Amino acid sequence: MKLLVCIKQVPDLESRFKPDAAGVWYNETDLAFRMNEYDEYAVEQAVQLREKLGEGTELTVLSIGPDRVVEAIKKSLAMGCDNAAHIQDQAASAKDPWQIASIIAAYAKDKAFDIIFTGMQSQDRGSAQVGVTIAEQLGFACTTTIVGFDYVDGTITAKRELEGGIKGVVKLKTPALVTCQLGLNVPRYPTLPNIMKAKKKEIVAIPVADLLTEESLTTTASFHPPAKKGGGIVLEGDVADLVEKVIAILKDKTTVLR
Amino acid sequence: MFLDLTEEQKLIQDTARDFAKAELEPMAAELDQSDDRTPLMINLKKLAELGFMGLNVKEQYGGTEAGVVAFSVAITEIARACASTAVTLSVNNMVCEVIQAVGNEEQKMAYIPKICSGEYAAGGFGLTESGAGSDPSGMSTQAVKDGDDYILNGSKIFITSAPYAGVFVVWAVTDKDAPKGKGISCFLIEGGTPGLIIGKEEHKMGQHASATNELIFDNCRVPASAMMGRLNDGFRIAVAELTGGRIGIGSLALGVGLAAMDCATRYSTERVQFGQKISNFQALQWMMADGYTELEASRLLLMSAAWRKENGKGFAKEASMAKLFATESANRACYSAMQMLGGYGYTRDYPIERYTRDARITSIYEGTSEIQRLIIAREILRNLT
Repeated sequence: MKLLVCIKQVPDLESRFKPDAAGVWYNETDLAFRMNEYDEYAVEQAVQLREKLGEGTELTVLSIGPDRVVEAIKKSLAMGCDNAAHIQDQAASAKDPWQIASIIAAYAKDKAFDIIFTGMQSQDRGSAQVGVTIAEQLGFACTTTIVGFDYVDGTITAKRELEGGIKGVVKLKTPALVTCQLGLNVPRYPTLPNIMKAKKKEIVAIPVADLLTEESLTTTASFHPPAKKGGGIVLEGDVADLVEKVIAILKDKTTVLR
Repeated sequence: MFLDLTEEQKLIQDTARDFAKAELEPMAAELDQSDDRTPLMINLKKLAELGFMGLNVKEQYGGTEAGVVAFSVAITEIARACASTAVTLSVNNMVCEVIQAVGNEEQKMAYIPKICSGEYAAGGFGLTESGAGSDPSGMSTQAVKDGDDYILNGSKIFITSAPYAGVFVVWAVTDKDAPKGKGISCFLIEGGTPGLIIGKEEHKMGQHASATNELIFDNCRVPASAMMGRLNDGFRIAVAELTGGRIGIGSLALGVGLAAMDCATRYSTERVQFGQKISNFQALQWMMADGYTELEASRLLLMSAAWRKENGKGFAKEASMAKLFATESANRACYSAMQMLGGYGYTRDYPIERYTRDARITSIYEGTSEIQRLIIAREILRNLT
């Protein structure tokens, strides 16, 4: 069997975010990057399946972006992926979900992958479109936001999280693509010996120009923090007056006392 | 010149940081106050399984072969969450490295994989005695040849991890008539060997979760094959191996210092006095600036010493400089951090008091600051005379 897991390197959520000069992406100076959280669930699930199926199964990890994404690729290799494809693209952050999905589909189309794993969405752009669009372009069965996964004899059984705490169970024939949600699994820490061994695993570098044929369908017009709201109100004076004022404000501006 | 970590070193740092944050930090305060070491044992096992016990040890002995820089950054990340766990890691790595450097193949295969895999929770480093601290050559524990065996008598103090160490590297006098330091040999003695008694535990100021005990040798009989390295060559081994351990302790101190500064700086952006955040006050800004500057200098000294060791260059002076500066800086950082928190810093509601207690020993153990200065000066003068 052939498995593919697609990962994205995103700014660390603990970073300090500032839009770049053009106002369409982050200013990357001093920004720390790490693997998209949802993609960690995807890698863990793919590795678990790889371990279950054993010999004869090949798990490839793919990422699009500049050289820095190799660190996320190496983490995936250390977690248990067999080999990697690094689609080299300095401008990946400016591409829309259609283009990213098209690039991945172009890479995957003649490789006969049986199952593709992606995160549910990225923590930066958050479109949640890439996984489903890859599936559509490849003609794969697809289900999203999975919190449970099993595979037996060409059939995936996936548990999905629905509104109101309802769980849904779907069955898919391979080839199929699943997008992974928080709660699916607990991603392993890569062991140190595996980090060192990952050095020897193959990372195929492919210039994005070899795979990119599509124009973007959407463009980011603006990328900015929310406007600062006015500061809080500071009430001063006698306690009895303050109580009256607070009650008046609560009645007027909130539903607390209604 | 390239000052960045390699991708592998970054991944090891990330793994250490993620593990420390998720598994160690939430229980560090409780471990500090409790006598129950079960959680520490569980964490040590997990860390062993991840490969943290033999960072600079060859793969054939169960090590990670990740190098000394990776060792340093890993210890720092672990220490940011729990200094007691970090010191256990540092000593375990040191014990693995001394056996790898000096032991014969049989000894290496017998003990290093057990420490690396976590089968042994720890390894012990039995050098210090009540009468031989900064001057270990003055030790009095004796090993007397008896047929094919050696019989050890005497005692050691301040032995890290003694109650749960699977094996001890022990130094003892084998020729009491030899000139000072020339009649000491090194032995590998398994925990539980008859005549090896784990003595009283020290009630320390900090690093509580890490046990520190007396070791007593009461007619402790070991086969001659337990000797590691050559007869009467033990003191040279101790001196050489302590040098590497200094990088570990400096890295640990850096982690504690950073934890203290991070906590205090965050606090200063939340605490309001005189109608404004106290981070607005220059008095606190200078503490932050000085604290972080010294810690960054410590990091660079540690990286330099680690890089030199990893690349086979002399590193005794650099390791001592790094240990001296990092541990003294960490103590100053903790002092400033507590000052920044005011009275709250002195309570157990915040971790600063624990950091302060944990940091204090770092400028004492594995060579006091005064001994580091002596080594640094000796190395400088050696090239002039």
